[in-house]
Amino acid sequence: MTSDPGGISPAASDGRAGRRSFLNWVLGTWAGGVLAAIGFPIVRYLQPPDVAEPATETASGGPAATLAPNSFRIVPFGTAPAIVVRLATGELRAFSAVCTHLSCTVQYRADLSQIWCACHNGHYDLNGRNVSGPPPRPLEPYDVSVRNDQIVITRRA
Amino acid sequence: MASLGAWLAERAPVGEIVEFLRHKRVPQHRYSLFYYAGGAALFFFIVQVVTGALLLMYYRPSAGEAFESVQFIMARVPFGWLIRSIHSWSANLMVGVVFAHLFSVLFLKAYRRPRELTWMSGMLLLGLVLAFGFTGYLLPWNQLAFFATRVGTEIPSSIPWIGPSLVRLLRGGPDVTGGTLTRFFGVHVAILPGICTILLATHVLLVQRHGMSTPPSIEQEIEASRRPGQSLPFLPHYVLHDLFGWTLALALLAALSAFFPWELGTKADVFAPAPAGIRPEWYFLWMFQTLKLVPAKVFGLEGEFVAVVAFSLGGLAMFLLPVIDRNTRTSRRIVSWTAAALLLYMAAMTWMVLRGGGQ
Amino acid sequence: MKMRVRLLAVSGWLLGTAAAVLAQSPNPSVTADQARALFQNDVHQAAGLTCTACHDQAKGDQYAAPARAGIPKLCGSCHTNASYMKQFNPQLRVDQYPRYLTSTHGKQITKGELRVAVCSDCHGAHGILSVKDPRAPVYPTNVAKTCARCHADPARMTPFNKPATPPEEWSQSVHAKALLERNDTSAPTCSTCHGSHGAAPPDVENVALVCAQCHVREAELFRKSPKKKLFDSLAMPECVTCHSNHHIVEPQDSWLGFEGDIGCAKCHDDSIGGADVIKGDRKALDDLSAAIAAASDRLGRAERAGMIIDDGRAALREASDQRVLARVSMHAFAAQPLADDAAKGLKSAQLALADADAALAEVQYRRKGLAVATIFIAGFLVTLGLKIRRLNRGE
Repeated sequence: MTSDPGGISPAASDGRAGRRSFLNWVLGTWAGGVLAAIGFPIVRYLQPPDVAEPATETASGGPAATLAPNSFRIVPFGTAPAIVVRLATGELRAFSAVCTHLSCTVQYRADLSQIWCACHNGHYDLNGRNVSGPPPRPLEPYDVSVRNDQIVITRRA
Repeated sequence: MASLGAWLAERAPVGEIVEFLRHKRVPQHRYSLFYYAGGAALFFFIVQVVTGALLLMYYRPSAGEAFESVQFIMARVPFGWLIRSIHSWSANLMVGVVFAHLFSVLFLKAYRRPRELTWMSGMLLLGLVLAFGFTGYLLPWNQLAFFATRVGTEIPSSIPWIGPSLVRLLRGGPDVTGGTLTRFFGVHVAILPGICTILLATHVLLVQRHGMSTPPSIEQEIEASRRPGQSLPFLPHYVLHDLFGWTLALALLAALSAFFPWELGTKADVFAPAPAGIRPEWYFLWMFQTLKLVPAKVFGLEGEFVAVVAFSLGGLAMFLLPVIDRNTRTSRRIVSWTAAALLLYMAAMTWMVLRGGGQ
Repeated sequence: MKMRVRLLAVSGWLLGTAAAVLAQSPNPSVTADQARALFQNDVHQAAGLTCTACHDQAKGDQYAAPARAGIPKLCGSCHTNASYMKQFNPQLRVDQYPRYLTSTHGKQITKGELRVAVCSDCHGAHGILSVKDPRAPVYPTNVAKTCARCHADPARMTPFNKPATPPEEWSQSVHAKALLERNDTSAPTCSTCHGSHGAAPPDVENVALVCAQCHVREAELFRKSPKKKLFDSLAMPECVTCHSNHHIVEPQDSWLGFEGDIGCAKCHDDSIGGADVIKGDRKALDDLSAAIAAASDRLGRAERAGMIIDDGRAALREASDQRVLARVSMHAFAAQPLADDAAKGLKSAQLALADADAALAEVQYRRKGLAVATIFIAGFLVTLGLKIRRLNRGE
């Protein structure tokens, strides 16, 4: 593969130079496209998504102002539901909302001041302890705090 | 552009490097295709560094967050799925290419004098690449990885005296825990890359220093024909060929990521019993199967320990190959046949596990 | 001589009676040694009692089994004594014997019928364990087996004109599955509905009260529905009429309709006034089930394509929860609240479906993006190939 030294007419070599620079231009354009195809995802990747971090240890419990005393709210925590309760005293409590009996979603009964599962009449007290009915175990409790009027629930270590 | 080049040339050894490369030629013969294996490995390594650095933006190395952070990358970060899948695919392709590179060097005898140091640095790089794979595999903290790591880090315990301490050192404790994860993370993103950079630089510089080796059979043909062998200029021919291959590899990575995204599995549950069919990554399967086939006791010693010693001695022998091989026709033939046997063995063991036999 | 004959006669009579008593008892007789070995695990032994506590007529090593008819009173002599029982376990109830006397077994024994259960038949005689001990014959998972010893035996049941089928029927029920397969000790076994000591078939009104202990919402809705008065007037038991008493299986949505002879179709055909309500309710449930199935299928496809669909799975879970509520709401025998519950479920199922669709659309978007990137790369490769060829030719 040695290069062809001479024997080319100036016109032909001009033509060759012309074709070569055209080829280089085309190559450069395609190369630009490839670099864009690489660069665009990387640039977009570095822009933070709407939710800044994964909801592993924490999840949002919704706005604090709209949760009245003696009422509750079900929010997603990962793939499972969580229940946030505001007691009559104003205190916030949060638990896993997955009933420990057959995994129905529990609710808060203001009349009983207890967490209740409608499926088989399981009752939990406001510490998450299973006090009557079929549930065999307490509900997992979460820590609750309020940040900028948003309720934040956190898994305990 | 030219003035910038001149400005640089005055200050950095750009001119000397370009001059050197301009004179470099790459032999062309029926085995030349294998010359690209090393470059391909380098390409995949660069991809790993870039995608790895990007993953570091969002990944969290703790037992409570690792899995969720990878899930976050896959589901919520724009193009996170692409970066992560490319990282996983490139890791596996890199290991494959590194083994191809190893065996092509073995068969084409490129380790002969004066390339002994190139070979040895390469062997160390092989070890590093496998360590990268082993440590990286745990980082998503899913069931498969957790249990595979537990099995894998259990193996050194069979070594007498130092075994248990070695296991503790690897795991950051007696068991595989979040401590192991953090330790593996530190090794994977700091320690191994640091050592790798030095070794890789050494390896590449030595390759440039000695040029590409010509296989013995080609050397003999050239001598017999009494004509200079065919060769290709490094700049620009070989570089463009390399670029071609690298771009092809990039296309392959993109296609694999889009059509076969790397799966995440389920989060590791340290209290659950090990799921059936736990096994390490494919490039460790042949060792895994060997350990399973070795009898419990060999010559009164624990079977696993004997296997570990055998692997270590084999590795050491391969490391010292340029020193051991006398470079005679016979010794070269022995090396070729041994390499073929090893390749066959590795393939057979891997196939055995993949078929589900050897349980 | 006369003395000896008399002795022989008396002992013969004693032996005969003992044999007759033992022949009635399901408990095989044990030797004194066997009994002593069994007694090592007995709660009474742990409480410090010995053989003579029950065998007060024992002489030497001869321990005759107490007369069968007298066993309940014998056990009751301690177990009704509140101040005596308090020293062992202040929480233990002391009304077992009075309750037993109200039971069918107790009433029969009082009349002299020996072929019914007494204390030792269920609790054992020498290795009596606490009801909380999983090895005890009266532990919830073992109760059905214990009752079945007699109540599944046609030879024992026929003399009383009773069927021997209930235990078998119960064993096929959802409650048996919950109790025996999932170890859910809250699931009802024989004693839960029939009572343990006061065991008797529940009256027509009573069964439903038992069911209502767990199935509160169904009971509430039923009682407010038009069916309650109707059933009462026809002396048809709540719950049992549609769900059976022992053979309680998983209800199907198809019961809400006029197919076959189960559910509504048991009593009605589609000419009744409420047929439209029934059809409407059934349609709501069917639509919801269809939506859930479609969403589940689509989510599975998205998952297999490598997408993560947590939001969709959460919505699907909500939809399934709503379906459970809708099925419970059916017991109002009206359009509401079932329609509302089903509508909520449908919305969640549609959200799940939307999430799955978004994920699948994302898969397509990625493939299109890949196609664009591949075009650039292919163009680059072709041009590069041309350039390399040029170079090789020497231009």
